Amino acid sequence: MANLRDIQKRIVSVESTKQITRTMEMVATAKIKKAQAKIEAARPYALSMMEVLGNVARFAKGAEHPLLEEHVERKRIVVVSVTSDRGLAGAFNSNILRMSEDLIRKEESNGVVVDVITVGKKAGAYFRYRGIEPIAAYRDISDKPTFLDAKSIAAHVIPAYTVNDVDGVYIIFNRFKNVAEQSPELHKLLPIEQSVVEEAADDADIAAEYMFEPDAESVLELLLPTYVETIIYRALMESAASEHGARRTAMKSATDNASEMVTSLSRTYNRARQAAITNEIAEIVGGAAALED
Amino acid sequence: MARTLICEIVTPERIVYTNEVEMVVAPTIDGEIGILPLHSPLVSALKPGEIRVRFDGDEVEWFAVAGGYVQIHEDKVIILADAAVASSQIDVDRARSAKELAEKRMAELPVDAEADIDACERDLKWCEIQLEVAGKK
Repeated sequence: MANLRDIQKRIVSVESTKQITRTMEMVATAKIKKAQAKIEAARPYALSMMEVLGNVARFAKGAEHPLLEEHVERKRIVVVSVTSDRGLAGAFNSNILRMSEDLIRKEESNGVVVDVITVGKKAGAYFRYRGIEPIAAYRDISDKPTFLDAKSIAAHVIPAYTVNDVDGVYIIFNRFKNVAEQSPELHKLLPIEQSVVEEAADDADIAAEYMFEPDAESVLELLLPTYVETIIYRALMESAASEHGARRTAMKSATDNASEMVTSLSRTYNRARQAAITNEIAEIVGGAAALED
Repeated sequence: MARTLICEIVTPERIVYTNEVEMVVAPTIDGEIGILPLHSPLVSALKPGEIRVRFDGDEVEWFAVAGGYVQIHEDKVIILADAAVASSQIDVDRARSAKELAEKRMAELPVDAEADIDACERDLKWCEIQLEVAGKK
């Protein structure tokens, strides 16, 4: 049986770990709310943007745009892998990395070159360790992404797609379903699906006869990159909210486990103490009996 | 009471401004336009510049805008801005130091890094506009 002082030391250490995990849990809970509010705050822009896109698409029907065009040959693609800067968030990062790895392996077996853009230190470190140097690595943005970050990521892929250097762009991120549930998701950024534009056009207000300045095609040309940026921004925000959600869940179970451990350690401690006392009594009784004889 | 229109300035990050106004002046890429009530439906791209909003007779509010779109429909003006900030909210010191930083970065960039240079120029322009609009009210 372990000695009493050792058990007590363990209890103190587990207690202090529990304090840390509980604090992290509470911090994550607070941050989820903020991240969710940010997603909400972005909704009006996204909605208005789709409305404008719909109106423009209705008038520029059948307009060709390099970002809408599927390339005939598929030689090189870019994968944007969105993770967090910090760990202790359960399977949050490993889900994304596994999904990225699967995609890369699948594409490479078809002879496609895959470039990687990483968001978050975790993805950066993971790919470098595997000898894949990201074409761009973002860090310290995954906690509070801004639209400018999204724009900057878009600036790496949009021109490349336009000039046929790249034939497909994907983003892999954690979709925020609710506080307790996040799931990794693969989203195709480029080419933009024709259906997106068509659906937006169908939802547009038919009655309004819009004028466009300079003209519908030029506005569409400017609008499509913005659309891609909005999608990236949304993915970054969802990932931020998911990170806090995943961390909260992970820290909650860590806290629960610590409580359980303390209970079982206290039980062992009490049992050991009781055993020691019993032992002492037995010795005293034994000693007294020896004197009587 | 004069006829009014609803003006909404939204950025991807938040709603910057929403109010019932009498006139909006916005910098489209073909030049500045003034928007009054009963304007016909219009969608236009905006270039970086200033937005003026007039309301309650002679009250004017100024905004710096980093580019975006404007949609006018049934007395509702929606400005979708990449970034926008009211003149009273502009942080002059921050804009100034951001400008210096952008200038420095620009000088260090190799000439063939077109994407980075474009981004830098955009940053720079945005800082300049903020500084320009900051004092106005």
